[in-house]
Formats: sequence, C-alpha cells, structure tokens
Amino acid sequence: MGGVKAALRKRYLMDVTRVGRHVGTDKFGNRYYEDNSYFIPRNRWVEFPDKVWLDYDASQVPPDWHGWLHHITDDPPTVKEPLTQKWVLEHRENVSIVPGQNEGGQKYIPYSTTRTKTLGWQPAEKKEQN
Amino acid sequence: MSLASSVMRMQMPRVTNLVAKRGGATGLMVHRDTKENNLNTKFKFSEDNEKRIKAILANYPEGHKVAALIPLLDLAQRQHGWLPITAMHEVARILEVPRMRAYEVATFYTMFNRQPVGKYFLQVCATTPCMLRGAETITETIEKKLGIHAGESTADGLFTLAEVECLGACVNAPMVQINDDYYEDLTPKDMEKIIDELKAGKQPMKGPYSGRLAAEPFGGLTSLKEKPTGPGYGLQAALK
Amino acid sequence: MHRVGGQVARAAARATQQQRTMAAAAPAAPKKVEVFIDGKKLLCDPGMTILQACLLVGVEIPRFCYHDRLSIAGNCRMCLVEVEKSIKPVASCAMPVMNGMKVKTDSDFVKKAREGVMEFLLTNHPLDCPICDQGGECDLQDQAMTHGSDRGRLQSRYDGKRAVEDKNIGPLVKTVMTRCIQCTRCVRFANEVADFPDFGTTGRGSDMQIGTYVEKFFASELSGNIIDICPVGALTNKQYAFTARPWETRKTESVDVMDAAGSNIVLTHRTGELLRVIPKINDDINEEWIGDQSRFAIDALKVQRLLTPFVRGADGQLKPASWEEALFTVAAKMRETPAELKAAVVGGLTDVETMVALKDLFNRFNSENVMTEEEYPETSGGADLRSNYTFNDTISAVESSDALLLVGTNPRFEAPTINARIRKTFLYSDIQIGVIGAQTNLTYEYDYLGSTSKAIDDLLAGKGDFAKTLSNAKNPMIIVGAEALQGEGGAAVLAKLQQLSTKLSKDKNSKVLNVLQRWAGMTGALDIGYKAGTASLRKKPIKFLYLVGADEGKISRSNLDPQAFVVYQGHHGEKGAELADVILPGAAYTEKEGTYVNTEGRSQRGYPAVSPPGEARTDWKIVRAVSEVAGKTLPYNEIKELRARMSEIAPHLVRYRDFEPSSFSKQALELAQTGSSSEKELVPKQRDLPDYYQTNVISRNSQLMAATKRAALDARENPYMEPAVTQAAARA
Repeated sequence: MGGVKAALRKRYLMDVTRVGRHVGTDKFGNRYYEDNSYFIPRNRWVEFPDKVWLDYDASQVPPDWHGWLHHITDDPPTVKEPLTQKWVLEHRENVSIVPGQNEGGQKYIPYSTTRTKTLGWQPAEKKEQN
Repeated sequence: MSLASSVMRMQMPRVTNLVAKRGGATGLMVHRDTKENNLNTKFKFSEDNEKRIKAILANYPEGHKVAALIPLLDLAQRQHGWLPITAMHEVARILEVPRMRAYEVATFYTMFNRQPVGKYFLQVCATTPCMLRGAETITETIEKKLGIHAGESTADGLFTLAEVECLGACVNAPMVQINDDYYEDLTPKDMEKIIDELKAGKQPMKGPYSGRLAAEPFGGLTSLKEKPTGPGYGLQAALK
Repeated sequence: MHRVGGQVARAAARATQQQRTMAAAAPAAPKKVEVFIDGKKLLCDPGMTILQACLLVGVEIPRFCYHDRLSIAGNCRMCLVEVEKSIKPVASCAMPVMNGMKVKTDSDFVKKAREGVMEFLLTNHPLDCPICDQGGECDLQDQAMTHGSDRGRLQSRYDGKRAVEDKNIGPLVKTVMTRCIQCTRCVRFANEVADFPDFGTTGRGSDMQIGTYVEKFFASELSGNIIDICPVGALTNKQYAFTARPWETRKTESVDVMDAAGSNIVLTHRTGELLRVIPKINDDINEEWIGDQSRFAIDALKVQRLLTPFVRGADGQLKPASWEEALFTVAAKMRETPAELKAAVVGGLTDVETMVALKDLFNRFNSENVMTEEEYPETSGGADLRSNYTFNDTISAVESSDALLLVGTNPRFEAPTINARIRKTFLYSDIQIGVIGAQTNLTYEYDYLGSTSKAIDDLLAGKGDFAKTLSNAKNPMIIVGAEALQGEGGAAVLAKLQQLSTKLSKDKNSKVLNVLQRWAGMTGALDIGYKAGTASLRKKPIKFLYLVGADEGKISRSNLDPQAFVVYQGHHGEKGAELADVILPGAAYTEKEGTYVNTEGRSQRGYPAVSPPGEARTDWKIVRAVSEVAGKTLPYNEIKELRARMSEIAPHLVRYRDFEPSSFSKQALELAQTGSSSEKELVPKQRDLPDYYQTNVISRNSQLMAATKRAALDARENPYMEPAVTQAAARA
C-alpha cells in the first residue's frame, strides 16, 4: 500500500502524516518508527498492524518496546536486548474489555464500591386474592 | 536499645507498683459481680443494729433521711466486716434514696471497703513523717510475717494489709491502724508482737509502744519549763 | 422515685433554682444591685450570678459545668473571674452578685487562673482530638484555644496519664470516659431532667468517674440529650460515630414529626445524606431537649423506602413503573369512580400542604370524603371547634400552672419534651399533679385518681382531695391524651372535661382544657377540615381510596368494595403500601418543605435537608400532578401559591411560629354531649419505656430504635436497675 491511500489512512488513524525511520517490528506486528526532527516525546511512535485497525490499545505494545517508546531506554530492543528473567510471563494484551476473551466470557464491567445510600422497599410476592 | 525505651523500662515498674498499691486500698470504681460480692450476698441488719438505725434516723429532720447515709453504711460495714453491694442496696432502701446515692458515698470514702477484708485490717501509714521514721520497714515486717503484700489478704482471712495516706498521728510515727485502733511508735519487733498477739486472739496494747503516754517529748520538757509569768509581764515601765 | 426522696430532690433543686427564678421574676424584685463588670456599670437583679450578669453586658465567661437549664455545680473552675477585694479568683457561675461588686473578666490574674485550670483539665484529657467525634464542636477544644496556655507541664513519663474504662449505657450513646472532665452536666441532666437517678459519680480525686457503678442501660426517653450537653467527647452519638466533622456538614433547621409537640430540630447532612438530628432551642416548645425517637430514628429514612412508582399488573403483582404510567392509572380510576365512592385517608405524619392539595383535589371531584387515619370524636363539637382539639393554654403555660390533671395520657412517651417541662415545674414549684389513666413512672409524683372516666365524674362532683386542689388552683390545667377520646365514649369524656374546665377556668385567657395529640399532622388536618377517623369509610363500599402515609393499619381490604382501587402515597413500604394498587413514592419529613401544626395549634415550617431518594417526589407536587392528569388542575404551581391557598383556608397556617389562640370554647360547651354515662377505660397504650421507641412508620423501620427497644426490655430483667423504675406501678 502506498501513495494517497496510505497517507489518508495514516491521517485517519494518527491525525498526522509522517514518515520516520523504521526502527523495528515486534512479534505482534507493531512497527516502531523514529523521526528526530520532531521534538522529544513525539519523535518515536508505533504503528499498529492493519488487522487491529481501530481496536488499538496501549497494552498491545510489549514492555521492551514500551521502554524505548517512552524514552526509558535510548536503544531499541533490536539493538540492545533488554534484561529478562525466567519468571517473566509472555506479554499479553489486556483483553478484559473484549467480550468473550477473559474469564467467564463476559466483558469486564467495573462495579461501584460505594454503598447505596437508600435501600428500597420490595413488594411482597403476590398473595392469593379473592 | 534506645535511651528512651530504657528509661521507660526503668520507670514502668514504679508506676504500676504505685497503682497496684493504691488500687488494693480502694479498688475499682465500678461494680463487677464476684464470688463474694454479688446480688446473692446475704445482708440484713441485725436486730441490735435496727435499733441503732432508729436512733441515728432520729437525729435528722423528716425529709432529710439521706443525711444518715454515712452512719448507716458504716453500721453495715461494722456488721458485715466489709460493704457488699447488697448492703448498699439495703441502706438505700431504708433511706428511700436511689441506690446510686449509696454507691457514690461508698466509693468516695476510702474507709468503706467494697471488697472483703480480713478480720484485722492493717493500715500502715506511709506518708512522709511515718516514712521518714521507718514505715517501710514496718510494711516489710508485716509482709514477711504474713506472706502478703499491700492490698492482699491472708489465706485464713485473718489479715488484710493496706498502705494508706496520713492517718494524722505524725508525732507518733511510724504507726499502724488495725480496725479502729492506732498502734504507734512502732519498731519491727513491736509489729511482730502485735501480729502474734492478734493471731493468738488476744488484744494487743493500743497506743504508743515507746513508753510514752501520748505525744509528749521523749526526754522530758524542752520548753515552757519555767514558772509562768504573772500579769503585767513585759509592760513598759511607764505603764506600771 | 420514692415519695420522700422526691421531696428532697425537689427541695434541693428548688434551693439551687431560687436565684434563677428570682432573676426571672424581674419586675417583682424591687431593688436592683449595682455591679461593675470590666468597669461597665450594670444594674441587675439580686440573686443573679456573676456569670449571668456578665452575659447581660455581652461578656462571655468560659465554662464547662455551668448549663442554663441545670442546677449549678461549680466544679469545673473554668469560669474564674477576679472580684475586687477578694484575694482568690471567684467561680462566677456559683457566686451571686453583690452591691458594688467590681468584677474583672480579662485581667492578667484571670487569664492566669484560666490558663491554670485549663492546664489541669488537659493534663487528664487525652490528646485524641483527631479521632474524637466531638472534634470541631468541642467546648474544651475551643476554650483551650482561647484561654489555654501554649504549653503544659505534664510529664506523663513519670506520672502516667489518667485513663478510665468506657461504660456501656445502651445502643444510643457512645462513651469514651477517658475524655470526661467531670463537669457532671450529664449527671445533673439524668437526675433533674430525665429522672434517671442511676447516673452519678463514683470514686474521688483522679479515680473519680461518671457512670452507673453497675453496668446498666440509660433508661430514659431523653437519653440522647446528654450527647449535646457533654462539653467534650465523652458522650457521643453512637449512630453518628466517625461519620462527619461539623465543618463539612450542612445544617437545616426544621421541625420534628415524631410527636405532636413539634420540637425544633437541626438536621445535619452532607452530600445529600442525612447524618444526625440535634435539637434547636425553642423556649416555647422543646426548650433544648428532644426525645430519643426524634434524634435517633432517622436511620429508618434510608431503608424500606419507596423509590419508584409501582403499579399492580394484570397478574396481581406490584411492578415498578414510570411516573407517567402510575399517574395515568390513578387519574383514569379517579375519573371513572363516582364521587360518593371516592375517599382519601391521610396518616399522622402528613404535612399541611399535601393535605390541602389533596382536599382541594377531592373537592374538585365533588367529594368531601377526606379523613385522617387517627380518630377523634366527631360529636361534642370534637373536631369542629378548635379549642376542642388543641393544647389551648400553650406548652410553656405548664410552668405557671399550680394544678395539673393528666387524663388518659402518658406525656412521658407521647411528648417527652412536654413531660420534661412538667417535671421541671414539679421540681421548682408547688404544682399538684393528678393522673387518670395508668400508674406508671412519669418522672414526677402524682395523685392517682383511677383508670376510668368515673374519676372525671368524681372530680366534676367535687369528690376527693384532688377536686379541691383543682378548684383552689389559680392556674389549673387539664391535659387529655387524644387516645383517651377515641372509641366509644370518647366524646363523652371530652364533654365531661369541657364541663370540668369551664368550672375551673378563672379568667377568659385560660381554657384549662388541653388536648395532647399523638401525631404531628393531626392538628393541621383538623384545622383544614378533615374528617377525623375512618368510620365514615365503612358506611359505603369505597371504590377508590387514596392513602397518604396511612400506615397504622386502620383500613383493610375488607372495609372496601371488593373491586376497590387503592392508591398509596408515602415514603415507606409498610401496611399502606401492601394494600395499594398503585404506589406513588413521596418524601419523608426531612426531604420536603412542609408546614406542621403542633398540638398547641402553632404552625411551623419544616425545611428539606436532603432530596427525596430515587424517583420519589415532594408530596403536594404528586397530588398536583395527579390533578393535572385527571383534568382538574389545581391552581398552584409553586409552594408560595399553595401557601396563599392555605392562608385562604386558615390564615394561622402561614403565621409561622406564632401561637394562635382558639375561641369558641363556650360554644364547645354548648355542643358538649355527655350522653352515655358508661365508664371508659382511660389507660394509655404507652406505659413503659419499651413502648416508647417504635410508634410510627419511621421509627418502626429503624433498626436502632428496635435495638433500643430490646435494650429497654432487657433492662427490665436487670436486677441492678433501680427498683423505682421497674416497680413504678407499685407506688402511690
């Protein structure tokens, strides 16, 4: 894909048309770019794979790339392999908001932890009336 | 260990000790049912005392019976040895006042014993003059002799020891009050003798143990020895 | 209380009261005393204390133990002032003024004295203000700031800090006795006002503590007031514990509806939630006390509430519905039912606005069938003449009365604040009290005259000592409970009492006959012309019944047409709601602006503290909405317009706070029908303390009131309870 269509598509997703140096791609297909002509927080960005489309989410970026993206490290994980421990779990996207993806199959909905101020009356079950 | 906590450690026993001794003398300021002191504790004024009550009540005008509260509580204590809660109720009933009025008076005065005390209630004065004259050794003597500490009673129910504040016999320090009587100018030896006699059921000698009659100086008079001067003494010459 | 003991208390209380009564009887005192306070000359009545004299010139003396309505103790020493020619500082609360006395209230000497007293108080007071419920409204906190020193010499490391065990005095009042400064206000309140002599001080010196010596329930219907009079956080509200700070709450002044006295209250609330009720001073009504029901029953306003409209479905089950559905259902039924088969019944807690709107609505449908749930005699001019159903002589007149007859009432539980006033009068004057009804502990001594209406006949005939006392009295008063006038023979009792009071009345202004209503809304309902009692309902098979807060279970389906349609408007789901086909959720007294006419006929305004919960709405607006849907729109959109309508009906309804004397007592006598001479039992239903706590739809739903009732019942089994309380019936 390229040309006008790609530019419009980029504009639609990122509100800006910019082309940077492609630094690397992670195993999820996220592509990471850098363009140092932008000032510092904006000089690095991620473009999510096509299949994600509008369902992108910050939790789709794995922690090693997250570090580079947020200027925690200077070098991307492709250049400098980050330290990992054997107990570190495989990165997973946070899918609690996606129906059918988490435990119970339901979309996670947070509930209010504040108590109800007023308890209502419930009518008794119907009695036999003559 | 920090300095502060070591200071605390040094101080703590002193404070608790103080509280325990005092607590032993006057007890809690609330009532809790105990084995000896509860609503089932039998108390009824004896016939002699009923007569005394009549005499006491006659001292006060009608409508002011409540004034007889202290004499009646005292009478109850003398009859029963100490003041169980049922005795307070009985007094309140006789005087037709709320029971709380009897509780208030009985807790205010330390001479009302709201816990059981022994037949002989030893009250050692421990205020400054007596302390300077050796009240602490008197207490120690009693403690050693009877195997009890201040605030405790002997197992046979004969003796109770309490450390009290000034009993007003400072000139005859150190002194002990046993029930109603004062035993003064005591030495540890005297104290032992008194306890032995009490144990034997005898009445020990009351008053000073130093051979004094009362509170006169040991070595005869030190002042006011000369003959009293007559009238007109020290008057200016011009007025004579 | 025992007979003689009572006299002692009476004599003692009178002695301490003397100086105040002398101060009160200002015009009679011929000679004024000249006093100089901070150089300002002041003429005051002899017998006044320095503290009171200082108040006259606007000098506020700090104090803890002194309280206006209690005897003087003089034990906190905070009110020390300097009096010229006195070497020592003087406790101003206990020192009467003398001629030529020169008082200094802000000299260095006084400041030092106050600082010293404050240091001693704080030495034995815990530093737990951050976790203390009194924080922010604590006299000790405030006065430590204004009169205390910035440092103290307490060395708790050596001396230890005094601590006192907490007491359990029941489910209403929380105690933290270490905070107590032994001002003995609560003890004096318990003994003088509440007649709970079990409260006192035990021990002495640093061992002194306040309490009951033996653990027991604070058996009094006024127990909550010790929370207010406690200057520190020793006695606090258990319900309100750890809930809010005074500076973060909003306060709404309102009127209490738990009894017909109409006590003035302050509703404390925060973020739309009602937190507590405290009394507001009104010397005409409640002085500064309120009953425990008024103070503590508010937890019920958060449970069993009607939050949405309900409509009974085709299967006979009540189902939540929208307002639109509910209103249209009601309006349709209202239109199709003929006028004579319609009726409305209002409960005892209803405000006047709602009742006026409801009556107007029914009148527009040509129906006069509006009635109160509470009964009142219709004959003998009962509900027609105002002097027959109000407390004609005013509550405060009790204090100047010298003979009082109580008929079929237990004011202690029917109106605790009025009873507190009777006890006060009993303690400080020579009032003679007679009781026809139940032999219970009323907190004062009385002559028991019998339990039936025969005793009234005897009084009328002049038989017995009390008849003489009454006829010799300068200001006799008769207080009759509304309950005594209900049922068969009630009208005859009223008629007899009318005759008796006419006989006793010495001048035109005193009516003698005073009716103590049981419900906050009853006098208002009779004022605007509601029929008293539901008797007329039973004559015809009613097809459309509109209940407003009628929860006493006086009406059941069997009284109505089998096809009857019942609308219930109210705030709690109880008997009324169970009966209903449509439920319209209304507002409780804390949630709406409303007018209440107390038993004296004094109209007072209540204000909303919080908004009605859920879908519930202000009651008169619901009636107004029904009228619009039913096609007979009532001509008021705002409460102002409704009140204009109220003033058309009865102008006194909007003359707030004023007492409106009633006339026509002479005509009332002409209407009096003694009728049958049969005896009527006059024993009131509320006799003992447990009968007090749950009397209306709100307090019946209160868990706290239920717990307190249980505690009161348990207290009867407690052998340590004062025998006078449990054996009150054996007295006299």
